[in-house]
Amino acid sequence: MQFHLALKVVLALSLCQVVIATIRADEDRINFSRDVRPILAAKCWNCHGPDENTRKGDLRLDVRADAEHVLSSETDSVARVVELITASDPGDRMPPISSKKPLTKNEIEILSRWIEQGAPYEGHWAFQSLNRPAIPHVDVPAGGNAIDQFIIARLDAAGLKPSAEADRATMIRRLSLDVTGIPPTITEVDEFEGDQSPDAYEKLINRLLSSPRYGEHMAVPWLDAARYADTDGYQNDRYRYMHVWRDWVVLALNENKPYDEFIVEQLAGDMLPDATLKQQIATGFCRNHRINSEDGSIPQEWHVENVVDRVDTLGTAILGLTFGCARCHDHKYDPMSSKEYYQLFAYFNNVPEWGIGPNNGNSPPFIEVPDSWPNLSAEDDVARAPQPLALHRAREKEKGNGLKRPQAGKKNTVMVMHEMPTPRPTYLLHRGQFNEPDETEVLTPDVPQELGGFSNQHPRNRLELAKWLVHPRHPLTARVAVNRMWQQFFGTGIVKTSENFGLQGELPSHPELLDWLAIQFVESGWDVKALQKLILSSATYRQSSRTTPELDDTDPENRLLARGPRFRLHPFALRDSMLASSGLLVERIGGPPAKPYMPPQIWKSISNNKYEQDTGEQLYRRSVYTFWRRTIPPPTMVNFNSAEREVCVVRKDRTNTPLQALTQMNNITFVEASRFLAERMMRHSDDDAAAIEFGFRQLVARAPDSTEKTLLQDAYQSFLGQFHENKPGALKLMSVGEKPHDETLELARHAALTMTASLMMNLDEAITKE
Amino acid sequence: MKELISPDPPVKRFLTPLFMMNPIREYQDALTRRHFFGRAGVGLAALSTLLSDDLRGDDSIQRNAVGEMSRLPHFVPQARRVIYLFQSGGPSQIDLLDYKPGLKKRLGEEVPTSVYPDERKTTMSNAQSTFATAPSIFAFPRFGESGLRMSELLANTGQFADDLCIIHSMHTQAINHDPAITMMQTGSQIPGRPSIGSWLSYGLGSETAELPAFVAMSSRGSGRAGQPLYDRLWGSGFLPSVYQGVKFRNQGAPVLDIYDPPGVDPSMRRTMLDYLGKLNELKFQDSGDKEIQTRIAQYELAGRMQSSVPELLDFGQESKQTMEMYGPEVDRQGSYAHNCLIARRLAERGVRFIQLFHQGWDQHGSLPKQIRGQCRDTDQPTAALLQDLKSRGMLDDSLVVWGGEFGRTVYSQGLLTRNNYGRDHHGNCFSVWLAGGGIQGGRTYGKTDDYSANVAENGVEVHDLNATILHQLGLDHERLVFPFQGRDFRLTDVRGQVIQEILA
Repeated sequence: MQFHLALKVVLALSLCQVVIATIRADEDRINFSRDVRPILAAKCWNCHGPDENTRKGDLRLDVRADAEHVLSSETDSVARVVELITASDPGDRMPPISSKKPLTKNEIEILSRWIEQGAPYEGHWAFQSLNRPAIPHVDVPAGGNAIDQFIIARLDAAGLKPSAEADRATMIRRLSLDVTGIPPTITEVDEFEGDQSPDAYEKLINRLLSSPRYGEHMAVPWLDAARYADTDGYQNDRYRYMHVWRDWVVLALNENKPYDEFIVEQLAGDMLPDATLKQQIATGFCRNHRINSEDGSIPQEWHVENVVDRVDTLGTAILGLTFGCARCHDHKYDPMSSKEYYQLFAYFNNVPEWGIGPNNGNSPPFIEVPDSWPNLSAEDDVARAPQPLALHRAREKEKGNGLKRPQAGKKNTVMVMHEMPTPRPTYLLHRGQFNEPDETEVLTPDVPQELGGFSNQHPRNRLELAKWLVHPRHPLTARVAVNRMWQQFFGTGIVKTSENFGLQGELPSHPELLDWLAIQFVESGWDVKALQKLILSSATYRQSSRTTPELDDTDPENRLLARGPRFRLHPFALRDSMLASSGLLVERIGGPPAKPYMPPQIWKSISNNKYEQDTGEQLYRRSVYTFWRRTIPPPTMVNFNSAEREVCVVRKDRTNTPLQALTQMNNITFVEASRFLAERMMRHSDDDAAAIEFGFRQLVARAPDSTEKTLLQDAYQSFLGQFHENKPGALKLMSVGEKPHDETLELARHAALTMTASLMMNLDEAITKE
Repeated sequence: MKELISPDPPVKRFLTPLFMMNPIREYQDALTRRHFFGRAGVGLAALSTLLSDDLRGDDSIQRNAVGEMSRLPHFVPQARRVIYLFQSGGPSQIDLLDYKPGLKKRLGEEVPTSVYPDERKTTMSNAQSTFATAPSIFAFPRFGESGLRMSELLANTGQFADDLCIIHSMHTQAINHDPAITMMQTGSQIPGRPSIGSWLSYGLGSETAELPAFVAMSSRGSGRAGQPLYDRLWGSGFLPSVYQGVKFRNQGAPVLDIYDPPGVDPSMRRTMLDYLGKLNELKFQDSGDKEIQTRIAQYELAGRMQSSVPELLDFGQESKQTMEMYGPEVDRQGSYAHNCLIARRLAERGVRFIQLFHQGWDQHGSLPKQIRGQCRDTDQPTAALLQDLKSRGMLDDSLVVWGGEFGRTVYSQGLLTRNNYGRDHHGNCFSVWLAGGGIQGGRTYGKTDDYSANVAENGVEVHDLNATILHQLGLDHERLVFPFQGRDFRLTDVRGQVIQEILA
C-alpha cells in the first residue's frame, strides 16, 4: 500500500507526465517503458548501455539477453542487480558514488519489483511499425470524428468530460489564427455567425485552407526546423540569399504538395530524374545551415560542421531523433552507433563545397534563378548545373595569409545541393574531430539498423535515403509530422518532446490516436491539408477553452484535452495580427526579405554591420518575410520566444515576461498599429462607443460585454481629457511610425482612441488564441 | 570570517506549485516570486528534474551517498554574484599578464618548431615565411605585497594585486573568435548551448524582483572596431528563455522599449495599466486560465521597471569622488567605465550575473599602439570597480572575472621591429584573473613555457574555469543539468574540474 502511494508521488513528479502517470499508477504491474526504462537510462546505461567504449564490467543492461545473468534470481536469493543496488556498503553499491547519480528508495523499489515480476523488456514504441489501432467505442458529440473517440475514451478513463463547443466568434477567430495567422475581419465574423447551414463550419475551414495566407503562416514552423535565415550565422554574419527557397516552401504549402514529395524534393530534388528547377531549389533545405567565413578558419574543420548540421537537422525535423550524440560516441540511449552516424553523414558529404564561406553572398554550389521566378516557363523550369567551385586567395596583399575563399553567389542565386561525380570518402571521426578520421575503413552510406526493420532497403545515396524516409511503413516519418501538426494546433504534441521520439523522449499521451492519425496521413497520400482538416473538424478542437480550478488541478497542461486549446500567439502571428487589425498589413507573397522597424543601431552597437531599415510597404509585410540575422535576430520576435534559427528547432517554450509587456506597450510597430486601428475606428463611427466596439471586434472578434464597454469608455474619456490638455503630446503620439496621420481627423480624439486601441491590443485576449 | 549566505532555497519556492497545484497559491507566487522574468510553470518540468533526486525520495531530507544534501545551492556559496569583465578579441597574455623576461634576448629569433609542434595556426599567418619571436616591449613591475608581476599598462589594476588570482595556464581548442568566445560562454564551440549566466539564473533564480537575474552590456574601445558580439553569448540556448541575459543597449534606451511613446506621460500609462488590469481580470473570471493572472503581474512589473531602470542608470546620487575614480568616460553611455559603474549598481540591486563585453583586443598588427589604447580605456575603470566593491564590503561576495576568449602568439604576425609587432590568435595558453568571491588573492596559478606558447604546469580548461565559477556560487557543475534531446546537458559538457588550489 505504502509502495503504491510512493509510486504515485514518483510518477506524478516524473517530468510533465503528471496526469497520464497518476492515472495509471493504480496498476499493480510495473510497466517497463513507463517506469523502468527511464531509471535505467538515467542512472545505469551510461556505463552499462549501448556505448561499448564506456561500458564497465562487461555488462550491458539495455539488452535483455545480455543482462539475463544479473536479472534472474536463483531460488531463495535475490538477483545480482538487486544485491548491488541495495548493498549496505557504499563502496559496493551501484550506481557508484562517483557517478553522482544515486538511486532513490523508490527507484530501488521499482527496479526490485520489476525484477520480481520477471524483468520483462519492451521494444521502443516509436521504432515499431505503424499498426492500425481499433477506434474506441464511445459516444461523441454531433459532428465529431474518430479523433474524438480516442480523446473521449481517454477522458472517460480519467473520469473527465469534454467541454461544450466554443461559440462562433471564438471558433472563427481560433481557426483563422491557426490556419492563416491573422484574425478574421468583422465581416467574416458576421457572415459566419449568420450562416445557419449545416456545413457552415466546413465551408469556413475550406476557405481558410485555401487562403494564400495559409502558406505564409504554416511555413513558419518549417522555416524554424530548416534553420532558414538571411545571414551565414558566424562572426561577421554576412548576407546570403535563400529567400527563393523560403518562397518555395510557402508556395508548396499553399498548393498542398503531399508531404512525401515535400520531403523528397527538399532532400534530393536535384537527383530526381528530369529534375525541375523548382525541385532543385527545394534542396536549399540542406544548405540552410550556418557557414563560417571567419578569417583564419580551417576549411576542413568547418566542412564537417556543415555536414553534421545536415544530419542533425534530418534527425530532428524528419525523424524526431537526436543523432547528435552519436557524433562523438555510440549513442548512450538510442540504438545508434558512432559508425552509423557517419554512415548517415556519408549521404550529405558529397557536395562540391568549401568549408569556409565567401564572407558575403551565397556559398557554392549555387545556381542562378531566372527573373520570372516563381512563374517559370517550361523551358526555365529545368534543373541546371551549378557553377563549379572556384577558390581564390582571400588576402593576397597580406603576406603569410593563406586563407582561401570560394566565389560568392549574388542576389539572383540560391544555394542548392549537388553531387560530386566521385564521392568524397567518409570516415568515422574519433570524438567527432575533423582531424581524427579512422582511415582504416571508408564508410558506405546506410541507415541505422534499428530503424531499417520495416524494409530490407539499404539506401546508398541521398535520393534513396529520401525515398526510404517516406516509405509507407516507415515507423517515424509520419508519426513525427502528424505530431508536429497536433502541437501547432493544441500547443503540445501527443508526444510532448516533438524533437525526440527516442528512448529518452516522452511517451505519447494518446499512442493509439497518434498511430491512427499517422496511418490516415500516409493512406491519404500524405495529404497535409486533409489531415489538418480532420483535426480542425474534430469536436475536440472545437471545444471551449474555459477551464475550472478542478480541471486545472487534474490536468494543468491540458494534455487530456477536456477543453480546447488556449495559448499566446506565436510572435510572428502576434505582430501580423496587429498589423492586420490596423489595416497596415501588406498581403503579398514572397520576394527578398523585408527590413521593418528595429531598435536604433540594432546591429551596429555590437557588430560591424549596419541595419538599413526599409521604408513604405516593406515595413508592413508579414513577419515571415522579416530579414533574419542569426547572430542578432529581431528582438521583438525573440522576446516572444521565436526560434533563433541557428540550428533546427521544432519546439519552443512559451514565456510570459515584462519585456513582452514593454514591447507591446511601447514598441514603434505596435504604437503605429494602434494609431491606424484608431483611424479605422474613427472612420467607422463618430460615436465613441461604436468606434471602440469596432476596434475591439477587429482584435478579438466578439463584441465587448457591458462591463467591458464601460471600462473601455472610461479609459477613453480619461485619455481624451488628458490629450485635450496636452495637444503637443497628442501630436507627438501621432508621429510615432513612418506613416503620416490624417490631419483632418480631430487630434485629441485620434490620440485618445490610439491609447484605447493600444490598451485593447495589450489585452491578454488580443494576443491569445482561445 | 566569511558571512555564510543562508541557503535560502529557490527549491521551496519552486516546489510549492508542484505540490500544491493551487491556482490562488500560484497567483500569489507569480506576484511575489523573485523569479523575475518568468512564471514558474515554464521551468517546472526542468526543475523537477533538476531536483528529482530529492523529490523522488521520502519526505525526510535525503542525503546522497556522499552525505550532501541534494539541494540548490548544492553547497554553501562563497559568492552571491559574478561580475565578468569579458575582454573580447583575445588580449595578449604576453603583453599584459604572463611575464617572460627571457624572451628579450630572443628578439627576432625563429620560434623553434619544438615549441609549435603540429600547431593549429590560423590561416591568417600559417603561410608566413618566418615566425619571429616578439618579446613584449612593456615593463612588468611587481605589485602589492605579493609582488605579482603585471604589465605597466595595468598599473591601476596592479594596485589590487593582492586580491587577484592570475591564471596563466588557460587553454582552449578554438583558434577563431566565434568558436572561442562561444566556448567560453557556453562550454561548446558550436552555437546552441545556454550561456554561463543563464545556467546560473536557472540554478539560483534571481535576488531582485525588478531587474533580470542576468544582465549583459557591451562597450567598444577607442581603437579599432573590434570583433562582433552575438546574442547567443548571453542567450539561454535550450534552457527556457526566461533565463536568458537581458542585454542593456549601449545607445539610446538601455532596455528595449522601456520608455513610453512620445506624448504618453506616466500618469496616462498608469491609467492604461489600471484599466488593462481590470479588463484582464474580467477575462480571467470568464476563462479561468491562470496565464492571464501571470500576464497581469508581468504588466505591473513592466510598469515598475519603467521607473526602476532609469533610476538604476541615473548616476546623480554618486559622489564626485566615485565618478572621478571611474575616470573621464564614466558619463558616456556605451563606454567601459560607464558599464563598470552600472555593474556595481546592478550588483547592489541583487543582479546575479553581470557581464561586460569590451571589444577591441584583436591586435593582429600594431599591437603596442592598440593595446595601450585598450588599457587606457579599461584599466582605470576596472580598478575603480574593484575599489568600489571593496569599500562597500561587496568584493568578498562578488566573484570578479577578467579575461578573453584566447591569447596571442609569441611570434609576430607581419613585420617585427623593435617597437612594433602584431600577434595572431593563440589558444594553447592565455591568462585570466579572478578576484573576490572566495578566491585566494595575490597569487598565480599554472605556468607556461618560456615562450608563453604552451602550458607547462597545471593547465586549466575552459570547463575548469566555468566549473570553478559555478562552484563559488554554490553549484556543483556535474549536478546542474537540464534534460534536452534525451540527455542531461551541463555547462561543462562531460569535463571540468574545480580548481581547488585557488579557493580561499
